[in-house]
Amino acid sequence: MDAETMKLLAAAIAMGLGVAGPAIGEGMIGAKTMEAVSRNPEMSGKMFTNMIIGMAFVESLAIYCFVIALILLFVA
Amino acid sequence: MSAEAEGGGHSVALAPEHVLEIGEFAVSNTVTATLFVSLIILVFALLVRHRAGVIPTRMQVLFESLFVFFLDKLEEGLGEARARKLVPLIVTLFLFIVVSNQFVLIPLVGSIMTPEGPFFRTPTTDYSATIALAVSVVVLSHVLALFVSPLGHIGNYLRIGGFIEILRGKRPLGELLTVFIEFFLGLLEIIGDLGKIVSLATRLFGNIFAGEAVIIIISGLLFVSQFFIPIPFIVLASFAGLIQAFVFSLLTILFISNNMVHASHR
Repeated sequence: MDAETMKLLAAAIAMGLGVAGPAIGEGMIGAKTMEAVSRNPEMSGKMFTNMIIGMAFVESLAIYCFVIALILLFVA
Repeated sequence: MSAEAEGGGHSVALAPEHVLEIGEFAVSNTVTATLFVSLIILVFALLVRHRAGVIPTRMQVLFESLFVFFLDKLEEGLGEARARKLVPLIVTLFLFIVVSNQFVLIPLVGSIMTPEGPFFRTPTTDYSATIALAVSVVVLSHVLALFVSPLGHIGNYLRIGGFIEILRGKRPLGELLTVFIEFFLGLLEIIGDLGKIVSLATRLFGNIFAGEAVIIIISGLLFVSQFFIPIPFIVLASFAGLIQAFVFSLLTILFISNNMVHASHR
């Protein structure tokens, strides 16, 4: 395999593997928020913003992988 | 490279194109779009202000509920007086990011072409723009914390208070290791703050750029795929843009109130 092929492959692997962890994390955040809201529906507004912030932190990990993939594809 | 997909005259490119030259400065198409977004917000603000009254119009209700939402979030951490001073900044950030994220939805504007490329491009797909926003927000949070308590805020990073307590005999010498660990944790906070800038900027840029890249690639796949197939992706991208604007302003509130509260605690 030449370097170009390896770069394409590396970008694909970086996206695929890098997104798996954050996907599990975001799923857990969403599931737990649903559980909490069903127990205490009055708190749903506050829970929603907290959930969004938590998801943003987890999502940024996936975004790092995306940036790595972009660097591999366009810059390097 | 091979990742150039042609769709509607656009292609996936990280760097914005330079479309104008004013004197020595090269002006890129994201800068012109930023000015255009500012103009839109200005006109909207004047319109809403002009029609505002005791009996609220629909637009006024929308903007007032937005204002109150961020005011409530600020008051949780900072108290009312400081929250009222900071809320215009947060709402301005939110409005700017929301309008820039939905820039593709403004009709006709994206089709103005120059020899170098389109004259306008979504401002938040430029890494420089998001880095500028993130740097100004994080620096502002430190400046505000320094105003609250200069020694307290610096003491959060250079934690030499423990050494002084040991020298004065207020803490036993056996706690020297704990004090050393505290000191290095304080130094780690500095790296954490650089990480804040990187993560804020990258999150906004990555989400918006990814949305646009997906739309361009999907519409460039086949001849037929540029008509109706991108619509769900456009809906998804504009929803993500709204969420990211919320996240950016909420995290700004979090950083500012965290820094100010921690500075005044010591």
